[in-house]
Amino acid sequence: MKGAHRIIVETRKIKYDFVINRNITILTGDSGSGKTVLIDMIREYRRYGSDSGVTVSCDRICKTLDNEDWEYQLKETEGSIIFIDEGNRFLFSKRFAELALASDNYFVLATREKLPMLPYSIHEIYGFRKSGKFHEAKQKYNEIYHLYGEITDKDGVAPQYVITEDSNAGYEFFSELSRQISISCISANGKSNIMKKLQDSERVTGKRLVIVDGAAFGSEMKEVSEYLALSGQVVLYAPESFEWILLSANVVPKVNVRHILQDPADYIDSKQFASWERFFTELLADQTRGDIVWNYSKKKLPRAYLSPRVMNAVKRFMKVIVWE
Amino acid sequence: MLTIIYGDAKDSVYNTSVYFKNTYESEWFDSELVKRIIKDVDDSEVLSGECINSPVLGQIPPERLSGGVKTLLLMLNEPDKIFNASTCGDNCAKWILEIGKNMDLTINLRHMMSFGKDTEFEIKVKNSGEVVHSMKELLPIASKYLNVMRQE
Repeated sequence: MKGAHRIIVETRKIKYDFVINRNITILTGDSGSGKTVLIDMIREYRRYGSDSGVTVSCDRICKTLDNEDWEYQLKETEGSIIFIDEGNRFLFSKRFAELALASDNYFVLATREKLPMLPYSIHEIYGFRKSGKFHEAKQKYNEIYHLYGEITDKDGVAPQYVITEDSNAGYEFFSELSRQISISCISANGKSNIMKKLQDSERVTGKRLVIVDGAAFGSEMKEVSEYLALSGQVVLYAPESFEWILLSANVVPKVNVRHILQDPADYIDSKQFASWERFFTELLADQTRGDIVWNYSKKKLPRAYLSPRVMNAVKRFMKVIVWE
Repeated sequence: MLTIIYGDAKDSVYNTSVYFKNTYESEWFDSELVKRIIKDVDDSEVLSGECINSPVLGQIPPERLSGGVKTLLLMLNEPDKIFNASTCGDNCAKWILEIGKNMDLTINLRHMMSFGKDTEFEIKVKNSGEVVHSMKELLPIASKYLNVMRQE
């Protein structure tokens, strides 16, 4: 399934209007914000149609999944948006993760639990904000997440220590950038080790910069954001992925995928790519295949990507991070 | 005192909403503390033991209260049981602390609930037996046990 899909769910008393952009969306946040009410309304609409008094407008079928034969129902469903409320233990199972990632559906999950087997994006974690009848879906985390809100171009962050989630190409790149300004860069070897690396580096003076693939970091975000709030000396930079940065900075000759970057949802098939991170990796590898200079490999970064021209372009693209 | 089990907890009530629907008693809503909780978390007024006035939904039965409020009410009224408190948002945290001040309460958390950046408290983490007094102390311990939570 591809594309962004607008969903409007409404009764006389309450209205939800939001857009689903990719395979996994998480609804979280405070109690009483209306997550379960939304899912109940969709369930009643599916069961009773217009007799329910609920209106659901969407170009895809919206349905709920919450009973004992969930596995059978999931296998039988295609091209739909499936809502699942908290309280369903199967949400946390390996079997659900396997089926969900291989299915041709989008999922909206109301849960606070971390689901590390599902590579969901920090950009698709929402909380509802009430304003009278209207419930607006508000994005919880941005690309640059920081205790004191948005960082502007004026007060950029000059890191004294860098932690990358990546252990391969991305680490090689940021390690070189860090070396040039004589600061340390370490790899966490995966998203689940970020918290440990943050705790291990608490003696560092100055700002610590954590670089993660935002497209798949969702499960860790609550813990890390709590740490950020307590520390005040850590900035999280969470672009979609390292490959997305390279493509967005437009550094590779003859590779122009601006149209894809503008609306990735229109090009990324959820059944083929569990996360956008994997799509952008494949896109960059495809676009440079056969090029002896730029042939991209996640495992070993070709030297061309460490050239001053690429480094400077990425520095400019990262804007608020000061690599001087 | 409040005790927390992070990750998997044997014999805990996972789906607190269903449990509440089948076990709540209308007398629970006579309590002033319950009325304050419902006002604070759901912005709703208790009219009787079977009727709540919600500014969004109108008059509703108790089973349509938020998942967080239902879990708080279960903690208050059945303190011998262990409930899944990951059905509670961060706006329920202060009430969990309040309930834990007045009685021995054990809850199960499957996510990183924030008890407040500057809040002082006394929480026992059952996984390790340690007693912590702030989020700064709690975070690394909770994170460790949430990280090893099994996905089966």
